Amino acid sequence: MLKNYFKIAIAVLKRRKFFTFISLFGISFTLTILIVLTSFIEKAVGDDYPDRKRDRSLYITRMEEDGPGNMSSGSLSFYFLSHYAGSLKIPIKLGISSAPNGTNTYIRDKKISLYYKYTNADYWNILDYDFVEGKPFNRQQVDNAEKVAVISEDMKREYFGDESSVVGKYIEADNVKYRVMGVVGNVPVTSYMTFSDIYLPYTVSKTDYRDKGYRGGYTGILLAKSEADLPKMHEEYEQMVQKVPMERKDFEHIYSHADTYIRAFLDTGSEERSGLTYALVAIAIFVLFVMLLPTLNLVNINVTRIMERSSEIGVRKAFGASSRTLVFQFIVENLILTLLGGLIGVLLSVIILQVINRANLIANLTLSINFTVLFIGLITCLIFGLLSGVYPAWRMSKLNVVNALKTS
Amino acid sequence: MILLQNIQKVYRTDTVETLALSSISMEVEKGEFLSVMGPSGCGKSTLLNIMGLLDAPTNGNIKIDDQDTDHLSDTQLAQFRNKKLGFIFQSYHLINDLKVLDNVELPLLYRNCSEKQRKQLATAALEKVGLSNRVKHFPTQLSGGQKQRVAIARAIVGQPEIILADEPTGNLDSAMGSDVMEILLYLNKNEGTTIVMVTHDEHMARKTHRLVRLFDGSQVQ
Amino acid sequence: MIKHLFKLIWNKKKQNFLLFTEMLVSFLVIFAVFTLLVYYYQNYKKPMGLAYDNVWVVDYNNAFQTENTDSLDQLYVTLAQNIRSLPQVEGISFTSDNIPFAQNQNTGGITYNNKRMDNINWYTVDDDYPEVLHMQLLEGRWFNKADAIAKDKPIVINSDLKEKIFGQDNALGKTIGDGDNKQKMKIIGVFQPIKIKGDFASTEAGLYSRTDTGSYRWLGKILLLVKPDADAAFEGGLYKLLANYMKNSNIEIEHLTNKRKNINYFTLVPMIVLLIVAGFLIVNVALGLFGVLWYNINQRRGEIGLRRAVGASGKSVSGQLVSESMILATFALFIGSFFAVQFPLLNVFDLPTSVYLTAILLSLVFIYLLVLLCSLYPGKQAAAIYPAVALHEE
Repeated sequence: MLKNYFKIAIAVLKRRKFFTFISLFGISFTLTILIVLTSFIEKAVGDDYPDRKRDRSLYITRMEEDGPGNMSSGSLSFYFLSHYAGSLKIPIKLGISSAPNGTNTYIRDKKISLYYKYTNADYWNILDYDFVEGKPFNRQQVDNAEKVAVISEDMKREYFGDESSVVGKYIEADNVKYRVMGVVGNVPVTSYMTFSDIYLPYTVSKTDYRDKGYRGGYTGILLAKSEADLPKMHEEYEQMVQKVPMERKDFEHIYSHADTYIRAFLDTGSEERSGLTYALVAIAIFVLFVMLLPTLNLVNINVTRIMERSSEIGVRKAFGASSRTLVFQFIVENLILTLLGGLIGVLLSVIILQVINRANLIANLTLSINFTVLFIGLITCLIFGLLSGVYPAWRMSKLNVVNALKTS
Repeated sequence: MILLQNIQKVYRTDTVETLALSSISMEVEKGEFLSVMGPSGCGKSTLLNIMGLLDAPTNGNIKIDDQDTDHLSDTQLAQFRNKKLGFIFQSYHLINDLKVLDNVELPLLYRNCSEKQRKQLATAALEKVGLSNRVKHFPTQLSGGQKQRVAIARAIVGQPEIILADEPTGNLDSAMGSDVMEILLYLNKNEGTTIVMVTHDEHMARKTHRLVRLFDGSQVQ
Repeated sequence: MIKHLFKLIWNKKKQNFLLFTEMLVSFLVIFAVFTLLVYYYQNYKKPMGLAYDNVWVVDYNNAFQTENTDSLDQLYVTLAQNIRSLPQVEGISFTSDNIPFAQNQNTGGITYNNKRMDNINWYTVDDDYPEVLHMQLLEGRWFNKADAIAKDKPIVINSDLKEKIFGQDNALGKTIGDGDNKQKMKIIGVFQPIKIKGDFASTEAGLYSRTDTGSYRWLGKILLLVKPDADAAFEGGLYKLLANYMKNSNIEIEHLTNKRKNINYFTLVPMIVLLIVAGFLIVNVALGLFGVLWYNINQRRGEIGLRRAVGASGKSVSGQLVSESMILATFALFIGSFFAVQFPLLNVFDLPTSVYLTAILLSLVFIYLLVLLCSLYPGKQAAAIYPAVALHEE
């Protein structure tokens, strides 16, 4: 029976090639847009290099100090993180790193702009960077404020050119020479919490990391023993923050949270506005925007198509097909069309993603299609097919046999 | 009124050539009521189309009201039809989305006619066919006979000199058919309208002035 | 004739409903796109307020820990002299972190006539700032050395702030209070606003206050006006000079042109994505419109043949069909405009009314053109229908 429907569906599609073209165009392009968007989101939010232990980590990125008529917020100081966050019982490790700072280095009359990041030793134990060469600096080297650095693959190529091994060589940044300890795989700038070109021990920082103020340029990562410990760890940090004494007289509240990756990633910098909500609403509106018109279009075309086949429908009904059978047949035909469109959409997406990757608009951000993305695409197709098929099918089932057979 | 000289109509497709009319010459006098009969496929409708300037003959010449129609442009032909001709079809061809009154005034839309005038003329036409009480109905709400009467009203609303009717009673039962025939005869006798009617009904045809028979594209009687 | 067409369309409203909805939604989508484009364009046309070519930004921190304010000042004055003496340098200015095209913002409040206004950009800059940036003076003057001992703290504002506080009135010479209305500040000059967030964002109210002897302790940016031929080699040398002078500081040198490019990306990239998506949607709609109209023609062959028989010329028939689409579009656009006009009325997003009105106008024209184009070909097809054939098709 299904094979019969399939054959009829293909015949119908071939009969009115222009309509079929319009439908396929609409479906495939909409799907392409949605797949590319999903791929982006998936990469930016879901990519777990280098934080592979993300499911048992919490991220501390911001602190806000409020007073009457006064508000100040930003990243935290090294002191606050090591002293207060370091006093918690549940986390088994605490990684502290600064936000990437820009600087320049001038080599062979060429200017290289680069980002550098200060970290503590445990940073490397929490995150799983891929070391192409060498290894990270250890606690002893940090304690001794040794001038050592871990650099990214791109940095290695830009600074040293084609050399095969650079461990042990010296790189100059910010007017200081550092000895290269290791080279790691590139992190795209969209993973802004772990991205940098050069990683240095915080002890070589020129700004005073011993400053006892609560605010500074650092963020923290708390690692729990297991995923189950996350809520407890979150709670412990909240409790601790509430007991912290105010820094200045004109502040009355301190807010800071240890959040899961996505929450921290989308943080807007304000206690009142949730970044996650914003992001979800924005995505929902965009998806609606992209899907509404093509769906309307498809419904329109399908209604038209059905009316065209009214004599065929009349004949079928006259010879015994029930309304339900016909509706079912039509919906199957529509699903076949949307799945066909979906297939074309997937092919188009692959091509477009290749083009985007090759254009390298955001360095090191390689988009790909994986099962999540394909799954979302499939669901979209089905939604499309059902949405655009139900109303026309309903219209068709109401067609009176006699009228349909009379046509004119 | 209508003069046909050596009219020939050939239909050509990729593979087949059909001779629909072969050298017809005839004249329809002013005020005449002419019936055209013949079996299916003999060319009756084609003849009517050509008389109504809806189709051009492959060969031959038509004169309507002493005017040559060969060299008229599309727009000029349209204007000519609008002024001089009225049509009635077997399947009525009313516009289902318009009310009866709007259907009847249709030909007047293509002339310089004010709205008030149009309404007046349309109402008058509907009165003539006895449908004044159905003015605001939609065609779907009417019976076959009523629909055809609306079509007649539409055909006469512009006061054309010639009416071409293609099997006007073909879809009607005998009672309704007689009604329609009565109206046509009335128009012909009292208003002097020239009518050319294609029909299958011998009974109806006998009521008219003259009968012409076609067979395989040629006149036989 | 128009009334006739209205009747036709109204009587077929159920069939036309889908088409109507599609036109309505398309209008709303195009309205959104045009609003954004018009807003960006209007901002783009506004004067930049500064010249960004050949301006470099030096970012430094934590430089000198000297306790004594006078010696601290002397260190910076000497640094400035050293830099100024370099042949490639034409101007130098010390400023707070909120330089043009930066992500930093420093806002505060002011009080006037006991009314407090917040979210005013507050810049702390020295005497050479407007020269380095080639800012445009509108009224009054910039700071000079004499202002160090002025009675009321002298400030310079931009014309956006002037309008915000004083409306059409004069601002020069007037005194306003700071956020808490504790300190009195006298306005000595008005400047053209700078588009600090890039070419496509609007300007913001700004207030400039003069650096004093204690400022050097917390300032972190130097703006340099360099000669056009200053190259990477010179920059390398400058970098070494700065790094050696301020040994405890991280130094970064950026070009203002680059910062401008980066901040413009933030507006350009989403806009381009939006345009591509919108473009695809419109093509989709156009194709759909075309298909449905074309199908409609085929359905109405009988009616078209009839109209031809009754005396309509080919042109009249195609004109009729195009007009029908346009009238349907007018219905849809009318409803759409009703929704769109709520935006300026309710002052959504704080965009100027002219942006919304222009966008509505452009969208109307766009959709009308779209509908016109999509109905021309089907209309022509209608004119080509042979009445003889159409009337006898059963």
